[in-house]
Amino acid sequence: MAKTIMIIDDSASLRQVVSITLTGAGYEVLEACDGRDALAKLTGQKVHLMISDVNMPNMDGISFLKAVREVPAYRFTPVIMLTTEAGEEMKKAGQAAGAKAWVVKPFKPEILLTAVSKLILP
Amino acid sequence: MDLDRAKLTFIIEAHELLDAMETSLLAPDSSESVNAMFRAVHTIKGSAGLFGLDSIVRFAHTVESVMDRVRAGSLPFTPSLVDLILACHDHMARQIEELQEGEENGSPGTLAASEALLARLLPYMEETPNPHQANKSLVSPSWQHSPEEEESGQPTWHISVRFGEEILRQGMDPLSFLRYLMTLGTITHLTPILDRLPAGAAFDPEHCYLGLEIDLDAQVERQVLEDVFEFVREDSQIRIIPPHSKVEEYLKLIRELPEGDLYLGEILVQGKCLTPKDLEEALSTQRQEAMEGGTVQGRLLGTIVVQDQALPPAVVAAALDKQKRAKEKPSHELKVVKVQAEKLDRLVDLVGELVIAGASANTLAAKSMDSRVLEATAVITKLVEEIRDNALSLRMVQIGETFSRFRRIVRDVSQELGKSIELEIQGAETELDKSIVEKLSDPLMHLVRNSIDHGIEPLEIRRARGKPDTGSLSLNAFHESGSIVIEVADDGGGLNRQRILAKAVERGLIQDPAALTDQEINLLIFEPGFSTAESVSKLSGRGVGMDVVKRNIDELRGTIEVESYEGAGTTFRFRLPLTLAIIDGFQVLVEDTSYVIPLDIVLECLDLGPILESEQNHLINLRGEALPFLRLREVFETPGPFPARERVVVVQIGDTRAGIVVDRLMGEFQTVIKPLGELFRSVKGLGGSTILGSGEVALILDVNQLIQLATARRPNARPRLSTTA
Repeated sequence: MAKTIMIIDDSASLRQVVSITLTGAGYEVLEACDGRDALAKLTGQKVHLMISDVNMPNMDGISFLKAVREVPAYRFTPVIMLTTEAGEEMKKAGQAAGAKAWVVKPFKPEILLTAVSKLILP
Repeated sequence: MDLDRAKLTFIIEAHELLDAMETSLLAPDSSESVNAMFRAVHTIKGSAGLFGLDSIVRFAHTVESVMDRVRAGSLPFTPSLVDLILACHDHMARQIEELQEGEENGSPGTLAASEALLARLLPYMEETPNPHQANKSLVSPSWQHSPEEEESGQPTWHISVRFGEEILRQGMDPLSFLRYLMTLGTITHLTPILDRLPAGAAFDPEHCYLGLEIDLDAQVERQVLEDVFEFVREDSQIRIIPPHSKVEEYLKLIRELPEGDLYLGEILVQGKCLTPKDLEEALSTQRQEAMEGGTVQGRLLGTIVVQDQALPPAVVAAALDKQKRAKEKPSHELKVVKVQAEKLDRLVDLVGELVIAGASANTLAAKSMDSRVLEATAVITKLVEEIRDNALSLRMVQIGETFSRFRRIVRDVSQELGKSIELEIQGAETELDKSIVEKLSDPLMHLVRNSIDHGIEPLEIRRARGKPDTGSLSLNAFHESGSIVIEVADDGGGLNRQRILAKAVERGLIQDPAALTDQEINLLIFEPGFSTAESVSKLSGRGVGMDVVKRNIDELRGTIEVESYEGAGTTFRFRLPLTLAIIDGFQVLVEDTSYVIPLDIVLECLDLGPILESEQNHLINLRGEALPFLRLREVFETPGPFPARERVVVVQIGDTRAGIVVDRLMGEFQTVIKPLGELFRSVKGLGGSTILGSGEVALILDVNQLIQLATARRPNARPRLSTTA
């Protein structure tokens, strides 16, 4: 049974590439275009990992993280946050919100795959 | 494959983001628009990374960093920065276009443009010498070597992990790290450490109390192992001890590093002996020690890593040796060919001759009426134009180098005078002819020194006037209607016109003070032997200098303007021709004498209508504006009757317009400027001569002098072109 990963990012091209990469490695992928969209799509089904951008319209990554931790089904789900080196302040705010796994943008697809496999293997 | 489609998505997305960015840039006042700009660059950078578009990533990264500082409020979004970011925006758009055309890595031209823009962005970046190194933090330096490991000589890494209590709640599973380690190598030994496990009621099932001692057999770098735990590092204690055999490898790597001017820490990191996180930790230890000890620096970096047993002394010694040798190497090579200036001058001369010869061939071809010959000469003319532009561009240099020499001078002189002055340089990339740049350096020096010495007031006066303590001096260069403008501006006391007038009367330079405009009074300071400074300082004030400035600028066929507001500052503005050798000219006829007007100052041509009532005032009505004019026929006293129809060429220099009345308009052509002989030096209104295609001589008008002649007839009503005119 393949493990499911949800990718939350406002860039369609980024979602597309991440999705191709992860699917190729044997994961199932769900997509959402921002935090609000993601919360609407998370309806209790098993998600093994979430990958979320920080800087997004409507609901940013940090608010999403806070919100999703309130949902019992996703309390212990690992979340990888996508950030930039320029966003150190944001990273601090994120850490305060309990985000531990960070992947620095820009990244190559294989970097993300490595980070994912540290948390869940397919 | 699918990736190509994704790339297409990226290109479309990038165009949209850039459009949004541009819109925000043009109205950059709200924080939301700054945010939107940041997000655009951020997203482009993020997505470009996925496709391995390193040149885009690198560029966007820098822009993003600058925008981030703007967003955080630590950098003001000045108009010049907005311009720069706009230029960066255009550049990114070009990068995306090239990508669209299949040029993944960017064309050489674009790459060069990238470098140029990055260099301009540099001053806006934060002053951390090594942002990349510094951003990745953490590692606990306190770990100790285990001696047994050292002796055994096994190629085995020892990893000691104490997981943080909170990691389960953060979605981290200790088991997942072990699983991942097993993809890197073989775990030969594993001991769980449970000493933190509390008894009874204190036990919280959502807490992690686990520790692990792991022996891993793996052919990997330290960084790889450290990265395995990157997500739990901050809460957990991780110690990684290298196998003994690694030391030899470190030494080899350090010796093989490419030469370069590096910090010790960078060498150790590049030699893979330390990870960036180790380095950051060691450096922060160093800083902390310095703070606690109240000294400038704590222990040296090498000492810290050796004493903390992160590295054996031999490795640090090898790295230090490498650093020493690198410093002896010269810095990078420039991709330029050095050519003797004389050779270039000779080339430009020859091109000048070619232009003349080409014009001559053109004239003959036009007479022959043979369409094939006409066609051939047209092609040659076009090529000659290109050759001319290229030859002239060879002599073009950026003024930035000249400007930046003033940083030192401003610093030194202001210190000497005990003034705090900040030099701002704009338009450093503006190009102009090398021969002009060389002759500019002296006049600029005079003006800069004058501004520092007389312009910017002492601190007490500045405070009394409510100005910032630090005086501001700016050097600015830009192109404007075919000429180059160079400004030296200060925010000092401005010129004291009363004192200038008094002095001028005293020295007998003027008779009637009331007849002078402000501009004319300002320009008096360029008269020989003029100085109003009350005390003669070491630097300036002896009245030599300003007249030299004027002479230098005159020699360059340039003009000087002075804009000064008492108490608020002075701006000196030089207006110079782009080049001294070849110009595009506009040929006119009076009787059968040809004159040439530099094309770039010609605004329009029109018929001089029936004689107006203001004829005696020499003014014509140009769409409601009073335009002073003069007849070349009168200026040069050409005999002969006035023609039935006269033409007016409207010219503009700076913001002054005038009309030049001639008999016939002959059209534009390229002109090689030949200097006038001694005999004609004193003739007002002539700047040089040139040879026409027919072999005849034409005179090049010094329009600036002519305009002065035209406007001098009405000293009280200088035509100024402004929004109120």
